[in-house]
Amino acid sequence: MRTPIFLYGLWCLGIVGLFMVASNYAWSPFADGRAGPRGTGGGGVIFVGGPNHK
Amino acid sequence: MAEAAAPQPAAKAVSCPNCGGTVTLRAAGYSVTVACEYCASILDVSQPEVQLVTRYNERATRLAIPLGTRGTLDGTEWEVVGWMARDDSGYAWQEFLLFNPYHGYRWLIEQRGGWSLGEQLTRTPEGAWGGLKVDGERYTPFFADGTARVTDVVGEFYWRVKRGDSVRTDDWVRPGAMLSREADDHEVSWSRSRYLSTPAVAGAFGVPAHTKAWPPLPHQPSPALPFVKAGIVIALLAVAALILGAVVMGGGRTLWQGSVTIASDGRDQQAIVGPIELTRPWQRVRVVADVPALSNGWVDLGYTLVDRKNQASFTASKAAERYSGRDSDGDWTEGDRSATADFATLPAGTYDLVVDYKGNNWIDPSRPPSNFWDLNANEPAPDWRRSGAFAPQIDLRVVSRGGAGGGVFFLMLVLLLIPLGIGLLIHAHFESARRAESDFAAQGDDD
Repeated sequence: MRTPIFLYGLWCLGIVGLFMVASNYAWSPFADGRAGPRGTGGGGVIFVGGPNHK
Repeated sequence: MAEAAAPQPAAKAVSCPNCGGTVTLRAAGYSVTVACEYCASILDVSQPEVQLVTRYNERATRLAIPLGTRGTLDGTEWEVVGWMARDDSGYAWQEFLLFNPYHGYRWLIEQRGGWSLGEQLTRTPEGAWGGLKVDGERYTPFFADGTARVTDVVGEFYWRVKRGDSVRTDDWVRPGAMLSREADDHEVSWSRSRYLSTPAVAGAFGVPAHTKAWPPLPHQPSPALPFVKAGIVIALLAVAALILGAVVMGGGRTLWQGSVTIASDGRDQQAIVGPIELTRPWQRVRVVADVPALSNGWVDLGYTLVDRKNQASFTASKAAERYSGRDSDGDWTEGDRSATADFATLPAGTYDLVVDYKGNNWIDPSRPPSNFWDLNANEPAPDWRRSGAFAPQIDLRVVSRGGAGGGVFFLMLVLLLIPLGIGLLIHAHFESARRAESDFAAQGDDD
């Protein structure tokens, strides 16, 4: 049983380390923004409106 | 029970009065009866003249551990001197009687491939809250009012035993140990058995090492419990580290705040706001757009953050939308007048925020004409862009934010807890199967 505990400790250490690295670089997979081409980019209209209500 | 001061007995051979086979007495001087290993007849060896107690003509059972086998458990060498099979209404197990001249007798008990080492208690357990207590360890009830019957017996014993002997039994358990009470019309005896790992017994007596008792034995400790206990501590430490990291690296401030006007004709518009100073080496930026006048329409929002120094750009598109109406269920609303766009991993620099936007109006196709008496009156449909005294506005707020954000925090939290959750599920499955056999299943017994 010691091996799983040790491995879980390593797992947690890795997760905390990843979080620290992500925090340091302000990284988030949930962000909306993406890197665009150099120069002023246009946002463009991509939304087609209308309610989804029945 | 013989203890440390007892002299070591000499092995002695007697002849079986039934089959003539030579039966070795391994604990001569202590044993009262011996079961012939050839014909299974029970012999009384308490007197110099061997007496036949019960005659059996069946062939002796083939044993998992042959009589005379020696093995070491917890540093003590034991010799198998007797064996008997017992049964309680189909719940069967076998017991090997072990003997060591300095330590007396022990029972090596096997059931469903799981093993325990039992010893007779010389004291009566104390009553404890809902159970019993021995040596400071609390035991809770598991089996009650059972009848254990001897179904087969081979070897020598320190009491008179034969097939068909039965005793009333009750059992209490704690993780790793079982307390048993056996009573007949003449006496009551208590014994305690401790769970042994199969590899330990395999190493000592050569039984198969890879058997798994299932359902678990009543007192078998959950294999997942040590992991769960240690895992909870590790997980708490890790969560504390995550919270600390989020607090230290988090925080934010407003970088720019203002408004832009939405044209009433719904044309594409653009506004450039800034400068927006990003001072941390890396940061997240949130752009919040609020359109208070929005009603049955939407505003397309395209954001481009442009670094003045190198023209590097970061783009995002969102929409604020808000609809309302009435149907057979009554009034309904949908959408939100606010829209939030998040940027991540933005390097330090001076930025401009280019906002491309367009206000749109939505006309409910199911809406009845406003002029009921004249369908051709051609009255204009409601338009939120023109309905107010002033042109509608988008209130914009640009906020810098440190750290990785709540989404990443919760993602890491889930990743942290997944292995612990799996361990908890395994533990719960094990405990459920273990308790299922109990006569007190509803009460539970885990400490």
